[in-house]
Amino acid sequence: MKVLKITPERCTGCLRCEIACSYVQVGAFQPAKSVIRVSPFEGHTSYAPYTCTQCAEGWCMTACPVGAITINAAGAKDVLDDRCVGCKLCTIACPYGTVFYDASTRKAFKCNLCGGDPACVHACPTAAIEYEEVATRDWLHDFAAERASHVLATNGGRR
Amino acid sequence: MPRRHLIIGGGTAGMNAMRTIREEEREPSEITLVSAEKPYSRMVLPYYLDRSIAEQHVFTTSAALLAQWKVKTHVGRRAAALDTKANVCTLDDGSKVEYDDCLIATGSSAVRAPVPGADGANVHSFWTLDECRGVIASVTPGSHVVMIGAGFISFTILNSILALGAKLTIVEVAPRILPRMIDDAGAEVIEEWLRAHGVTIRTNVKVTKIEDARGKKRVKFASGGDLVCDVVIMATGIKTNLEWLKDSGVRMNRGIIVDDHLRSNVPNVYAAGDVAEGRDLVSGQPALHAIEPTAQEHGRVVGANMAGKDVAYKGSLIINIVEVCHLDAASFGAWDDAKADTVVGAKRDRSAYRKYLFTGDRLTGAIIIGRSGDVWTTNDVGMLKGLVQTGVRLGRFKDYLKAHPFDVKTAYIASGTAGTLLPETVLGRPAKAPGETPVAV
Amino acid sequence: MSPVTLSAPRQVGKPQPALPGGYAGQLLRVDLTKRKAWAEPWTPDEMRELIGGAGLGAMILYRETAKGKGNVSWDHPDNRLVLGTGPLAGLPVWGTGGLTVVTIGALTNGPTSTQANGFFGTNLKYCGYDAIIVQGQAKDWVYLYIDDDRIEIRDAKSYLGKDTWETQDALSRDLGLTGHQLSVYSIGPAGEHLVRFAAIQGDYGHVASKNGVGAVMGKKKLKAVAIVKGTKALRAADPRGLIQCADDIAHDLKTDPSARSLYEYGTLPGVVNLSKMGALPIRNYTTSLTGDVDMKSWEAPRLREGFDHRGHQCNACGMHHCHMSVIRQGPYKGKIVDEPEYEGWSGAGWTIGATDQSAVAWLNTQTDRACVDVNEFGWVIGWVMEGLEKGWLTKQQVGFDLKWGDVAGADRLLQMINRREGFGDLLAEGVKRASEKLGGEAAKAAIYTGKGASPRGHDHRARWEEMLDTATSSTATMETGNPVHQTELGLPARINPFDGVEVAKLVAGCRGRRAFEDSLGICIFTTRTRLENICRALSAATGWYYTVAEAMRFGRRTAAINRATALRCGLTPNLEVPSFRYGSTPHDGPAAGQAVSAQWEKMVDTWYKEVGYDRKGGKPLPQTLKDLGLDWLSKELWGKKA
Ligand SMILES: Cc1cc2nc3c(=O)[nH]c(=O)nc-3n(C[C@H](O)[C@H](O)[C@H](O)COP(=O)(O)OP(=O)(O)OC[C@H]3O[C@@H](n4cnc5c(N)ncnc54)[C@H](O)[C@@H]3O)c2cc1C
Ligand code: SF4
Ligand code: SF4
Ligand code: SF4
Repeated sequence: MKVLKITPERCTGCLRCEIACSYVQVGAFQPAKSVIRVSPFEGHTSYAPYTCTQCAEGWCMTACPVGAITINAAGAKDVLDDRCVGCKLCTIACPYGTVFYDASTRKAFKCNLCGGDPACVHACPTAAIEYEEVATRDWLHDFAAERASHVLATNGGRR
Repeated sequence: MPRRHLIIGGGTAGMNAMRTIREEEREPSEITLVSAEKPYSRMVLPYYLDRSIAEQHVFTTSAALLAQWKVKTHVGRRAAALDTKANVCTLDDGSKVEYDDCLIATGSSAVRAPVPGADGANVHSFWTLDECRGVIASVTPGSHVVMIGAGFISFTILNSILALGAKLTIVEVAPRILPRMIDDAGAEVIEEWLRAHGVTIRTNVKVTKIEDARGKKRVKFASGGDLVCDVVIMATGIKTNLEWLKDSGVRMNRGIIVDDHLRSNVPNVYAAGDVAEGRDLVSGQPALHAIEPTAQEHGRVVGANMAGKDVAYKGSLIINIVEVCHLDAASFGAWDDAKADTVVGAKRDRSAYRKYLFTGDRLTGAIIIGRSGDVWTTNDVGMLKGLVQTGVRLGRFKDYLKAHPFDVKTAYIASGTAGTLLPETVLGRPAKAPGETPVAV
Repeated sequence: MSPVTLSAPRQVGKPQPALPGGYAGQLLRVDLTKRKAWAEPWTPDEMRELIGGAGLGAMILYRETAKGKGNVSWDHPDNRLVLGTGPLAGLPVWGTGGLTVVTIGALTNGPTSTQANGFFGTNLKYCGYDAIIVQGQAKDWVYLYIDDDRIEIRDAKSYLGKDTWETQDALSRDLGLTGHQLSVYSIGPAGEHLVRFAAIQGDYGHVASKNGVGAVMGKKKLKAVAIVKGTKALRAADPRGLIQCADDIAHDLKTDPSARSLYEYGTLPGVVNLSKMGALPIRNYTTSLTGDVDMKSWEAPRLREGFDHRGHQCNACGMHHCHMSVIRQGPYKGKIVDEPEYEGWSGAGWTIGATDQSAVAWLNTQTDRACVDVNEFGWVIGWVMEGLEKGWLTKQQVGFDLKWGDVAGADRLLQMINRREGFGDLLAEGVKRASEKLGGEAAKAAIYTGKGASPRGHDHRARWEEMLDTATSSTATMETGNPVHQTELGLPARINPFDGVEVAKLVAGCRGRRAFEDSLGICIFTTRTRLENICRALSAATGWYYTVAEAMRFGRRTAAINRATALRCGLTPNLEVPSFRYGSTPHDGPAAGQAVSAQWEKMVDTWYKEVGYDRKGGKPLPQTLKDLGLDWLSKELWGKKA
């Protein structure tokens, strides 16, 4: 299966992926509705995007009481809006924190790999996100551990 | 290989077990379902209550699908006795079902506070579809609803009652709301929020009597003034549906005692869901959770074992989330562990609250409250679950999290939580999508 | 076209025409005297006429800062501080977090329009506002908190004295928000102490630096503006078209020879390139020679690789421009700094004789944090160093000795300026006022324009177009700037840079583009594509059909309005001259002997003729105004007759 391969060292924190993703989600530019989220890992110097891993267990999917989360053609766990009742069980079942809830539609939403043509990949100017046939893994761990230890050791290089 | 499976109770645990049997079995088997009610999901009832979904939507399967799955059904029938020597279950109409192995998944029922008038007209429980229909029939726009009990179930239907245009008063005998889900400080944040959204809350009051008062209901208290209203909803607790097993020889406390394969003392009798005292992931001790995810996992593990696989269960994590008027409140694991090393974070002006409980350098419990539209809160909700579920050692990131309670992601990722989770599955293989269950041939 | 009156009462209940795409649709008005803030809608007509940022700000300033026949001064409560963004901000076009600050500034006491990027525009627009208009003065220090519809003027005591980075750190911590969830634009100690060249800095490294806008904010006792990333939606009239256009702009920036080096290295190549033209300002213009410095080590790739550098881009930006760097060696090892722009390398470096890259990078960030305009900082410190060397300043006067290239000493002086301590109090007035006060040789050595503006960090004696632009500007910084594709405007691709007439024609011919770009909420560098592309992006966002001609006309309209305000402030043509040193003739280096003074009058005359302004009074001529559709302004400037 093709997955979102993330190279955090390349990310500049420009948030273009969030904008693009939100456009896919709601047809408007509204990062608050993006399902990929960029966070800093060393004060303000080191950013990385983070989204659903399409994990094997699919905790969100097995938790859904009405079977509203399925697997789409791209192999992504996908929320069916007309099934979802908005109970949020998936949002706490997913141990990665990557299912969201839209208070205006009362539906859960999450990364569905744009059905196989990820908008965030197109949007990223630095190829920090790529869509490739590789085994998924914890792309951010080493990066975050290294950068964050700098934060711990020097308080971000300040004083 | 057991050829004849009997599933008693068609709720969450029962249906998950059934589906998993079909997913896992190598050779076709017979499945019989005995269920007092047509299979549906109880936790979806609040959305039917305010009619944001149609009644049809609450059902988790259909006659057609059950037929496709080749399930023999006794819907509307109750199991009345279990003969574990003869492997026979007697139903309430006297008919008998033989089995090679069976699953007890009869769930729980609501219990009303033992006060005079508790069973009068327009006094409801809210646990079953029938009860939900009853509430729908009596709550109309403008009616005044008094909800007795400020526990989780009350809160799951709170939005719906408001959405119906009713005026809502919540009364609670404890000094505060959500006593079994949120700590004192968190409860205060939610109470404040609810009051600001027009909900009246009376805590520390004991209901003594419910009377009829000229077409209305009058709720009387041990102290303080009466409440006159149109409808009373009692959400005062639940009990497991196990009376019928009295003489079966299945060992139980409040729930059925099970091993790590969710087997009872009788080797071919399993238990799952609200009735099973399965292992709690954090404490390692048997516990009655009465939550949906536990019922799902129990059901799936039992299903796999019934289908001949050998799946040991790690235990379930207690997780709860409830949204009231666009404020989310969630708790995980041992959120009320007095021995834990605890840190609290609050952003009063954003109604955001966090409490993290550590045992050593592991997160063993957490509470999080925040606005439900805030994706960052939702992000953190899941990550806290991941931290508690994996029990990763946080090392120096424990202090980081204590100093920056609102920056969960850094600690979560830098401690390798995602990597720990990736290989983890409940059944030792990727989960299948709901529509992917193979039909029996 | 009739004048738009932003303060006109709205007719309640009257159906409003649809909001053009790209806009949030509201202006946030903040009255610090009354400690009140409220949202004001603005109309689609106003949007089309003023766009946002520089255009909107110019109109607000013109309409709201008049006082009798004159204008309120920079430190008057009625001065407006417009923190504007524009219709492209927050959208997927590269570099669209833009902030344009428009106010009556402290250096010239006249209008200014100065821009920075980051996430200001992004966060603000997602909260639902296109601009913030600050008026009045707070009694006690406050900061402005914006979180969607929640607007609060909050106590800022605990942030006082903190530099800009510390302020943002502290606010993020106190509000429990990380990264771009919170955008903070603040002043440092310099702004608090009304240093006349204090700047406003945001999101770690983005500085709106010109004309003492930080002092204006300080005078209003507004320490910071903290904007939570809003949750609202921005729509585009043609979203797919906009994304397509963003990609086209990106393609241009990546592949066009003149934009590509910017794409790859930001402004870093400036140091070596300008040194070859004699336009790198060295030691306060005392020389144009780089001496024994190894210029190879100043080539852009080496400059960048010298640090552990990390991308730190603005909204949706793919330029390899903004970076954070960690210093690898030396006394500042381990410090996180903002990779200096070209102007940082010159202002905190070459201008003051400093060429140790780690030290310059550190000092540059010190100026951002303090927070002052690094150009004026260079002119001030360079002037002091020269004075101490030549003896027209003494150690006693300054408080300590300071030699060329002494970075630690420069920082010490910066901290004195920041807090107006000792000699720093005089320097805090800027080099024009300080040198005029001392007189004599000191006066002759200072670099500034007659209006008081600080030139940017070049040796403009080898870049006449920028000197002319800076001197004639109504906004205390280059009003025109040099476009990349000037042929698009019908101008020649090359001119003789030392022919005053050609220079003036070029500057006049490009006029307008800058104001247009600064009205869009986009970065000054990501607009280095064809104007045609920018117009297409604006059209796709708003649904207007915006042409290059309309863009230029818009820009010139904005310039004319600024000119009217500037004249009201007393910034008349007689002040449009370089200072003695600024207009001197280089005696060495590539531009040696090129005497701008010899052609100055002719150059300015030509410029006036070309832009259609009155050479004597400075006013845009009636016909010019008529052509721009500014009949109302013509009436106000020239009376009924015209
Ligand atoms: C209103 C409401 C909201 C809820 N919200 C949440 C929530 O947000 N999150 C959460 O985690 N949990 C929630 N729950 C709890 C959750 O629904 C239960 O924990 C879950 O349904 C337990 O599943 P189960 O299979 O064990 O039992 P049930 O789903 O209760 O199923 C038991 C089945 O057994 C049948 N039965 C009972 N007795 C017999 C008998 N003797 N013979 C045959 N059949 C019998 C019943 O008819 C029923 O079909 C909620 C419950 C309610 C009522
Ligand atoms: S949302 Fe979470 S649980 Fe669902 S597939 Fe993605 S990572 Fe797994
Ligand atoms: S693949 Fe699509 S849905 Fe998933 S994060 Fe990227 S843009 Fe969003
Ligand atoms: S678009 Fe790419 S560089 Fe920009 S924030 Fe997203 S991942 Fe990082």
